[in-house]
Amino acid sequence: MTVQDRAHRVSVIIPTHNRRESLERTLRALCRQSYPFDLMEVIVVADGCHDDTSELLRAYTGPFRLHGLAQPKQGASTARNYGAATATGSTLIFIDDDVEPAPQLVEAHVSAHRIGRGIVGMGYLPVELAHRTDFLSLLVRSWWADQFQEMGKPSHRFLYRNLFSGNFSLDADLFRQVGGFDPSIPRREDYDLGMRLMKTGATFMFLPNAVGYHHEAADAKGNLTRARQEGRGDILMGFRHTELRPTFNLSRFQERQSLRSGITQALVFQYDALGDAIAALLCRLLVVFERMRLRRLWHRVFQGLRTYWYLRGVKDELKTRRGLIKYLQEGPAHSQPDDVEIDLDLSQGLELAERRLDEERPAGVRIFYKNTVIGHLPPQVGAERLKGAHLRAILASDLSWPLLKILIMEQAREPFDSTFDSSTVCR
Amino acid sequence: MATAVIDIDFEQIPDQLSGLDKYTKALVLVRFRGRPIGQTTMAITDGHICGTQLRERVFNIGARTYWEQYLHDYLAWDPERETGFVLPTTTIAICTRDRPEDLARCLHAISLLPDTGQEVLVIDNCPSTDATRDIVSGRRGVRYVREDRPGLNNARNRALHESSREIVAFVDDDAAPDPGWLLALLHNFEDPLVYCVTGLTMPLELETDAQEMHERWSPFGRGYKRRVFNGVHCNPLAIGQVGAGANMALRHRVVADLGPFDEALDAGTITRSGGDTEMFARILINGLRIVYEPKALCWHRHRRTREELRKMFYGSGVGVYAFLTRALFIQGEFGSPKIAWDWFRYDQFPSLVRSLLGRPSCRPLDLMLEELRGCLAGPWAYRTSRKNSCRVQR
Repeated sequence: MTVQDRAHRVSVIIPTHNRRESLERTLRALCRQSYPFDLMEVIVVADGCHDDTSELLRAYTGPFRLHGLAQPKQGASTARNYGAATATGSTLIFIDDDVEPAPQLVEAHVSAHRIGRGIVGMGYLPVELAHRTDFLSLLVRSWWADQFQEMGKPSHRFLYRNLFSGNFSLDADLFRQVGGFDPSIPRREDYDLGMRLMKTGATFMFLPNAVGYHHEAADAKGNLTRARQEGRGDILMGFRHTELRPTFNLSRFQERQSLRSGITQALVFQYDALGDAIAALLCRLLVVFERMRLRRLWHRVFQGLRTYWYLRGVKDELKTRRGLIKYLQEGPAHSQPDDVEIDLDLSQGLELAERRLDEERPAGVRIFYKNTVIGHLPPQVGAERLKGAHLRAILASDLSWPLLKILIMEQAREPFDSTFDSSTVCR
Repeated sequence: MATAVIDIDFEQIPDQLSGLDKYTKALVLVRFRGRPIGQTTMAITDGHICGTQLRERVFNIGARTYWEQYLHDYLAWDPERETGFVLPTTTIAICTRDRPEDLARCLHAISLLPDTGQEVLVIDNCPSTDATRDIVSGRRGVRYVREDRPGLNNARNRALHESSREIVAFVDDDAAPDPGWLLALLHNFEDPLVYCVTGLTMPLELETDAQEMHERWSPFGRGYKRRVFNGVHCNPLAIGQVGAGANMALRHRVVADLGPFDEALDAGTITRSGGDTEMFARILINGLRIVYEPKALCWHRHRRTREELRKMFYGSGVGVYAFLTRALFIQGEFGSPKIAWDWFRYDQFPSLVRSLLGRPSCRPLDLMLEELRGCLAGPWAYRTSRKNSCRVQR
């Protein structure tokens, strides 16, 4: 390690709420990090804890500096901001108290930030079930696995929704510059931060070696409460970032498309007392369905309940169905004034086209082959700007047919001027 | 009359196929650059297949793949090689019992696989002669292990116990893997939730009526489209399309996480089959994933006589019902009787009626009856076999 490298100080920030044992596991795992302990501080912010978390922090005798802070219960976002305000490291790593960092976690995050400034490093959070096989835990694990599998592809175009506060890192300056987490947005504080970071042009990176085993203890009731908070969170996020409104999957509630959707909406917006009673009953029935291993029924009911509680969260903010329609109509998808679009000609070679994307990082692109249009990728709300690594995957999927047509026409026109190697069909 | 099994690559279609005098038709496997992409059945007239017809059929099957590949060549793009996944270490396990000829063919095919550092393990299950040991002893890089407790699942468990590699790829002794088989299986383990990958199994020969019937009414192949079975979203008991144990690879962790194969099931016990199916179901019940990868091709020598085929149909009936019995009583899967009912209602019963009425191209009645007889015997067979296996363990 060089002298310059040694100067890279890092602060690990962990908000916690009454999870002493889980926190202890996290701290124990941090004691096994490969990164030099003298360059690392750990800040635990106890958010309204009334278990013996504070005793655990007082009794700590480990290899790194540990700062135990406490605040009255104000939520994880405030706790993270408080931790970040006292941090001395140039890089901040946020970890949740149910995450058990693998030994390379801190080093992997720091390595990413050595590449340059303005990087947001997303760690890998594989779910550890510890032999739990309930339907919800399996569902949750599968969801997380899909997220990371997608993010692991070099051609993945990052979205604001790819920021998960359980294991990520960024420059302390950048965190302060965007104003940290917004505590007024429940359950969507990470997405909101992701959106603001996207707007500053930060580079999102997935760090497969920054592994934090996620000991998520999922229960149906908690998950449904969370769905309601997510409904509220999305609406509040839409107030701040109006361009996001059409992406929330709420537009399907503008019209009553099916009987089921109509009943759900009537229960949410008109007869919520009755709706809550039915939802509570169905929530109890989930246990019965699970005991009988009736998966399909369980999944249908659970998804229905999630939709119901999500909409209840929406109603908490917007009050009526008319309010929801007005909200959606007020927020059209519009590109931002600084959304740059460029014209890209593939006939000059793919490498050149990729280089241009890397240099100019446009929000959208019109793709040509000589004078023929292949396709148009307009700026995408909440997505990172295009880069070279995105190009081939887009051409191979969304634009495959128009591109193929042009290549065949080109081949027919100039049969002997083949720019790529492919064997001929007709023998 | 017999059916010729022909293997053709899209980019090397012969002008005509001749010398097929003893066959009346041909099952043609179509590949594109070694990858199986489809199959077709063609008539043979006077011992040969017309080149024009052959080309037309092969073009129809391969056109889409050809153009896709054309585009990917231009883009220098391979969606499967995007992430730089490091291949896991592997053991190839062959569980065998008194089939030296088949085993020799299988080992020869395995010796032609590209070297990824794999080890080869032959589990000789309760042999009656030393023939298997003699065949293995002459081969370098092949480890011989004798397992005296009879039963295919005992042999599979022994293979898992003997291996310390990340993946154990099982191949039946009467099968012969294609050179691309192993790599095609391994690439699917990039997703950490994939615990099992199954492959395409094609008939090695269709020389007898029994073999033709086997391929027609109970083929091992599950089509040419890759499929991911995610236990969270699919019914883990309805797994007819997952694949077959003759051609499957398991993550070694499966034993630690989900337990070994159920020794009361499969060949060598009175349940006769169902051991692979039960493991597939257990993987899916635990919310994990199975990939069916048609690129992982294996050739299987089907049963040659009608008698063997009858036994196989009986055995598969017993095995499926034994597995469903286990699912209901051991794992508390209340959906299990519905699977049995759906199978009867939508497949067995209509087929039986058609067979009884002697409708054209109906399933042979004797095979149907054997299968149904097996189904009736299945639950009891599982109970008895489980008792036996508990007694042996004690």
